[in-house]
Amino acid sequence: MRSVARSGMPVAVLAAGVLLLSGCGAGGPAPEPSPAPSDGPVAVRTPPPDVPIASGDLVPPVEEDQPAALRIAELGIDMPVDPVGVQTDGWMEIPEDPAVGGWYRFGPAPGDDRGTAVIVAHVDSLVYGLGPFARLPELAPGAEVAVTSASGAEHRYRVSSVEQLPKLDLGATDVWSRDGDPALVLITCGGEFDREARSYEDNVVVTAERVP
Amino acid sequence: MRTKLITGAALGTLAAFAVATPAYADNHESARLSVLHGVPDTPVDVYVDGALTIDDFQPGDLAGPLELPAGSYEVAITAPDAADASSPVIGPVTIELAAAGNYTAVAHLGEGAQPTATLFTNDVSPTAAGEGRLTVRHTAAAPAVDILAGGQAVVSGLTNPNEASLNLPASTVSAAVALAGTTQPVIGPADVSIEDGVHTLVYAWGSAEAGNLQLAVQTIDGLHSNPGGVNTGEAGLVAPVDDSVVPAAAAALLALLGSVAAAVVLHRRAAATTER
Repeated sequence: MRSVARSGMPVAVLAAGVLLLSGCGAGGPAPEPSPAPSDGPVAVRTPPPDVPIASGDLVPPVEEDQPAALRIAELGIDMPVDPVGVQTDGWMEIPEDPAVGGWYRFGPAPGDDRGTAVIVAHVDSLVYGLGPFARLPELAPGAEVAVTSASGAEHRYRVSSVEQLPKLDLGATDVWSRDGDPALVLITCGGEFDREARSYEDNVVVTAERVP
Repeated sequence: MRTKLITGAALGTLAAFAVATPAYADNHESARLSVLHGVPDTPVDVYVDGALTIDDFQPGDLAGPLELPAGSYEVAITAPDAADASSPVIGPVTIELAAAGNYTAVAHLGEGAQPTATLFTNDVSPTAAGEGRLTVRHTAAAPAVDILAGGQAVVSGLTNPNEASLNLPASTVSAAVALAGTTQPVIGPADVSIEDGVHTLVYAWGSAEAGNLQLAVQTIDGLHSNPGGVNTGEAGLVAPVDDSVVPAAAAALLALLGSVAAAVVLHRRAAATTER
């Protein structure tokens, strides 16, 4: 049995490789409707007839409607939000004042139809003391979160989860997703405090889904 | 080649595999090909391997990307009313596309204004968080140029059909094209948006002599990297109290808050007293 399986393996791998190279999936159901013909090796080389065509003209940069304020009625939070980017070390830039939220301006904005908007704030500071986000762990699923944009538009979200996880595990979650259903994520710190590094070990992550 | 590899013994495996695998499960192995029409004034048809692929393609337009299996393809560009690819105005040229490669084929004028086609390979490697990539391609009937950003030359002596590429912090760049060694723009200046995770490819096309030099822009997104993490606290005020040592900073802060509170109380009392 074993030797049969072994001798069969390279052939299967070879066949799979040939299929990948030739792009031939004849007879298999396509996951999405596609105009590309896919039956028979002759048709494999035929490109899809519906080629998208767009003007190559330079379009002037568009001003994005940026978030200006975050409200969580349940916690009595109403704080201004500033756009922020990344620090030189590649970690996210955080507004110095814990009473100011920082929106990750390279990701989706609250109100966008796709992807996750990220707003962060320091949980505390040696200069300013405790910030409003210190109360995030009190939130329960169902709580309402609202973001007002500079244009005055209000975007409403409903909390779906409140989690605490090691900081280095944050990258493995989909908080940075630029695709998928619209969501808002609020992030601060929590957990054990490393006094030498003057840093918390965990992130507190509140995920909220867009309320239509 | 393919028929040689598929032996009789393998056919059963092959059939099973074909049924179980969706037709486009190999997308990550496909090559992506965009096509830019950079010859002024003349609409064309584009044939790939003899098949009409882009019909009545207008100057300045960008088509694709086409998802194509890796391999070699013959591209011919004909007049828009041609019946087939037999009498091309450009080509036919043979292009080699590698698996997962990203390419732009440009129909354009050479430095001496003769129509030609160039296949460029697009860099789709990830960009650092907060950065985008800018590539400038010289596909115009014009001598060597400098690319100016904010009035300063950032690329010098770029010639047809070459390119220059740089990674930049996300921002809006005022870009212009000047003849090499000069600062008087022959194209622009124009605001070009450099976005996080987006490769912006700018083509200078047209003809200096005919006075129709211009820019075409292609973008490839989804190259972004995520921030390393979120570090949002420095005082330890919300850490679980699992020992008796109150952090000095927190103690100082609490003392400070205490005195502020006391002051407020005193102030209120004073105010209350005055009201009475």
